[in-house]
Amino acid sequence: MSYDICIVGSGAGASPVAYSLAKAGAKVLVLEKGPWLTEKEFYKDELAISLRNVYNPNLEDEQHVIEEQYQHDNGEAYWQGEATSESGWSFWNGTVVGGSSNFMSGYFHRLKPIDFRLKSTFGAIEGANVEDWPISYQDLEPYYAQVERDVGVSGKTVNHPNQEPRSTDFIYPPLAEHAISSWIDKAAKLIGYHAVPVPRAILSKPAMGRQSCEYSGYCSSYGCASGAKGSGRAALLNHAVAGGNCTIKPKSKVYKIATDSNGKITGILYYDAQGRKQTATAKIYVVACQAIETSRLLLASKGEKFPNGLANNNGQVGKNLVFSAGGTGSGDFNYDELSEQQVNELKQVGPFINRSLQDWYQINDKEFKGANSQGIAKGGTIDFLFHQNPVARAGGSQWGVDENENNQLVWGEQLKQNLKQEFTTYKTLRFEVFNDWLPNDDCFVSLDDGVTDKWGDAVAKVRIGYHDHDLTVGKYLSKKAEKLLTAMGAKNVSSSVSGYPPSNLMAGGCRFGDDPKTSVLNKYCQAHEVDNLFITDGSFMPTGGSVPYTFTIYANAFRVADHIKQRLLQIKGS
Amino acid sequence: MKLIQSFFDQNYQTPSWLTDKLTKKNFSRRMMIKGALKSAGGAAVVATLPFRAWSAESASLPEQLTSDPWLTLDSVLNHLLPSSNSGPGAKEIQATLYLFNVVHLQPTEQDEIDFIYKGVGWLNNYSQSQLQKSFVELEVEDKEKLLRGISQSTAGENWLNTLLGYIIEATLTPPVYGGNPNQIGWQWLEHSGGFPLPSEGTRFYEVPNQQSRVIADTTSHTAKNIEVVNIIARRQLPKGKGKKA
Repeated sequence: MSYDICIVGSGAGASPVAYSLAKAGAKVLVLEKGPWLTEKEFYKDELAISLRNVYNPNLEDEQHVIEEQYQHDNGEAYWQGEATSESGWSFWNGTVVGGSSNFMSGYFHRLKPIDFRLKSTFGAIEGANVEDWPISYQDLEPYYAQVERDVGVSGKTVNHPNQEPRSTDFIYPPLAEHAISSWIDKAAKLIGYHAVPVPRAILSKPAMGRQSCEYSGYCSSYGCASGAKGSGRAALLNHAVAGGNCTIKPKSKVYKIATDSNGKITGILYYDAQGRKQTATAKIYVVACQAIETSRLLLASKGEKFPNGLANNNGQVGKNLVFSAGGTGSGDFNYDELSEQQVNELKQVGPFINRSLQDWYQINDKEFKGANSQGIAKGGTIDFLFHQNPVARAGGSQWGVDENENNQLVWGEQLKQNLKQEFTTYKTLRFEVFNDWLPNDDCFVSLDDGVTDKWGDAVAKVRIGYHDHDLTVGKYLSKKAEKLLTAMGAKNVSSSVSGYPPSNLMAGGCRFGDDPKTSVLNKYCQAHEVDNLFITDGSFMPTGGSVPYTFTIYANAFRVADHIKQRLLQIKGS
Repeated sequence: MKLIQSFFDQNYQTPSWLTDKLTKKNFSRRMMIKGALKSAGGAAVVATLPFRAWSAESASLPEQLTSDPWLTLDSVLNHLLPSSNSGPGAKEIQATLYLFNVVHLQPTEQDEIDFIYKGVGWLNNYSQSQLQKSFVELEVEDKEKLLRGISQSTAGENWLNTLLGYIIEATLTPPVYGGNPNQIGWQWLEHSGGFPLPSEGTRFYEVPNQQSRVIADTTSHTAKNIEVVNIIARRQLPKGKGKKA
């Protein structure tokens, strides 16, 4: 059977297209590499989610090669790859129907107008490939509003200096808040910060056939058992399938997009659940497998017209991959320094903190030593959170130091005391800093020429070079966040900013732009070189903004879906 | 690699399955130092405190637990996390049953299982050579001396660290995995476990997430040379360096 639309991937970039087009009457096929799990298969199980990581491929079967920079004795720098089956550093974020959106925290900050024109606002930065977007915030704004409605975002608008323009108000009220949110508000006010509520892609009341949040206290990185979390599966694909126009084929691993001698796509080649080679055909093809795998698929899809990979005759595919720069930090609240009421407030489990700081989304501070001598630069966002996973928290409790400061194992009463102290005497408030990962020549995807996956296909090799400016911004923001923790009375306040990419926050690699020489996609996320190929995951982003990506990926995919609808009508009419 | 004969064998090198686990579980130095209290001379005194019953219903245990290597492992685990007034011990936590399930039900790497078993042999050999008794027959003070002794070797430290890691898992993972009966570990450490919790039939290795494995003859483009094997979810390491999205 031939479809109108064939979509590779089923996450935040894929599901809005499936949803919109199926609703418009198109026949949609979704090919997803992973299995199709539902609410019934998600539990609060630390073993499943992180310790044994069961929602992702075994790294021996499917992996990446990560290239880091090293130095020879003579000072000369070189790049060296390491397979992730060796390092254990997984770049998979949810190989299931709905993809990583099943496991997101759902911090749904919009980008701000300035994110669409970093280069024209702040100027070029040496060593970075910053470009303005070919669209503006106003082009995307209606689609942010659509995501808030159709995926379900709970929040409230407050006036603050960096509030972006909005055409609508939130439909879903904010989620219940943890007591510490008011501590944050109070301290922020005291030191002149604006603590603002964080919109979350989690339903605060039942809607659209989904239940509201159950406040189990385990949300980030866990699959949602109530359906409240706005995964592409729960929020969009379920509706698309129920409408009768969308077919999802799980356990279908796409390995190549085939083209003919005219450069026209002839089909999507995949291994089905039984390992048989299959071909899917459609009028329009959409790729959304998360940034690294999308670039990998295009690079692997060589054809007569595309000797370097599909849509890659200008050598842009895989280039300018971005992650999220920034870092993490924390401070401890010691129970013996607090009143009984404060301790009880802290111990509350379930409600969300939902506070962020965006006072330095644009930095304008002479003290800031960045690329711009006036101290003007793009800054970022600070979010606050608790960690809940108990085994992770206990990790390290079996270690002590001997009289010579050497690490040594402890057990017996000492171990019990360590555990008791770790769990019952304080609580750690954490923050995460999100700032732009400047696109640069040392951060890109290519195909590895040695390592293959279990099907024998070359895996993606990812060079993870970063720009030093990212660290300067990240440290600046971290210090601001540390100041808030200190003002709240936290002890042991610290932060860590490094150039290591968070492997769950990726974009770029097929950036969009008006010039085919420097971009892969046009402003509709359609390949410059291939008329009926669209890319709707985070790959299109030339710069990433300073917030988590999922919201913008959703919004942009809805925008592109509207365009595809028009295209399909044209095709069918002709 | 030569066959390792004891904890003190100079040929022992920490195997990669363990180094991966250690680095990726983020047992960072900061964590180690934070949780640490200095202990004089390295020997924690195991006082036999008056025992308060931590009401754990004893589950019916598999038969294998009544013979070695499980008798010795049970004895070591009970020593590492003793039952006392300060909280439940390995016995109440059912750490031995948890470890038994790690070996027999969870998809654990064979190398790791072999290492756990070999350590039992090395420990008993050491015990026989030092005190002419097997480990389970020793008094508490002698057990302590022996375990402190082997912890000075790399292999011994790795072995004990492996067991301590599983004691922590037994204490803090959902009860369906065999430890933490009636959430005794969570109660002791005042932790809320979340909901819904997995139960029999929905443990992580029973979730229908298995992807078909295809071992294809990559030189051929026919569908003949393929073998489909359903693999069970296997141990993987958590994301090492990351923020939550």
